[in-house]
Amino acid sequence: MKVLIFDSGPLINLSMNGLLYILEELKKVFDGRFIIPEQVRYEVVDRPIKIPRFELGALKIRGLIEDGILEMPGSLDIDKEQIIKETLFLMSKANKCINAKDNWLHLISEAETSCLAVSSELTRRGVENMIAIDERTTRVLTEKPENLEKLMSKKLHSRVVLSGDLSDFKNFRFIRSTELVYVAYKKGLLRINGSEVLEAVLYATKYMGSSVSFEEIDELKKLKIV
Amino acid sequence: MAIERKECEHAISVLQTTKKALMEKDSLLLNDLSNNMIHSSCSYQDAGSITAAVLIYALSKLMARGDYRKIKNWDLFVKKLNSILDLAILALGEYNSEAYAQHMLRARKALESVSHSLKPYIEEVLRKASINKGGKLYEHGLSAEQTAKLLGITQWELSEYTGQKGGSEINLNRTMSEKRRAQMAFDFFK
Repeated sequence: MKVLIFDSGPLINLSMNGLLYILEELKKVFDGRFIIPEQVRYEVVDRPIKIPRFELGALKIRGLIEDGILEMPGSLDIDKEQIIKETLFLMSKANKCINAKDNWLHLISEAETSCLAVSSELTRRGVENMIAIDERTTRVLTEKPENLEKLMSKKLHSRVVLSGDLSDFKNFRFIRSTELVYVAYKKGLLRINGSEVLEAVLYATKYMGSSVSFEEIDELKKLKIV
Repeated sequence: MAIERKECEHAISVLQTTKKALMEKDSLLLNDLSNNMIHSSCSYQDAGSITAAVLIYALSKLMARGDYRKIKNWDLFVKKLNSILDLAILALGEYNSEAYAQHMLRARKALESVSHSLKPYIEEVLRKASINKGGKLYEHGLSAEQTAKLLGITQWELSEYTGQKGGSEINLNRTMSEKRRAQMAFDFFK
């Protein structure tokens, strides 16, 4: 069994682009589970359902939970308290790794970190897993933290120092909504046809917050993956 | 979080210039001051400076569009606002970040209630100002969720906004070749 853990970004992205159905389709051809932590559920369902502008999007995601397409970590016997504990542990590490003006920068919050916590637990159990995340900070922090140091130094116009222990952040794997729709396209799961469809869906994810560049999209369009 | 002396002095300087810019109806200067404030608030993420940045940006928009003319007693409002900003400056002089945040919240509420008929419009200007400032904090390197929390906006609003901006084009965001990530995704779904 494999597990794909969802942060808020890709679900919001797919919902706003009318592409949530690809999760149902992917689930049919995938030997695995789609998991959203409680904290992510709050961001994509519980909070937006009270905001008229996002109510429909939130209802669609809630529908996926009700249909069992998206599941909570409890369905894998992952204890809620354990996730909270691990989330707090990872947050304390992540938010004490970049220092600017003698001050630790609070970089990431509960929902994003809870995805890391679920992933850690699954890895401990030997379950292959991956995190779907659109926002850049968590991904860069774990895959190439020195880039975050450079980016923040540039943006803050002052010396930002990367320090602290990031050894607990080494083994996470990430994809974005962009790669999700790419896989859906390659597997013929999109409900629209035409030669421009791939380009259109890739751009659509970019314009709804996936941290992907035009250059990366061009590379994806040219890729020959089998 | 408590803000340190240097940051308090910086915020005092921004608020003093804001008062002047308001009197002179200088929308460009207000816009710069707002950017300046959000930039410096990235480190300490204090509520006072974040509210100030949003408020100053909203004021710059009302000025730039000439909408302030639709508000009766605008000059009286500016006097009231400036007196609240004076209290915020005093609080900053005492390094009292809580009082500073409360005064900035009062200032925001003063703008929200300046005109009954324009209230929904002003609330919308403030909401868009929050999203704009959120976009800036995200660009500075904070995560989407942390940014949304600080600004009191949803990630839905932030995703729409950041997607339209050029932040993703920054090369430092790239942490792996696209070929490798796509292959990883494809293999995962095999």
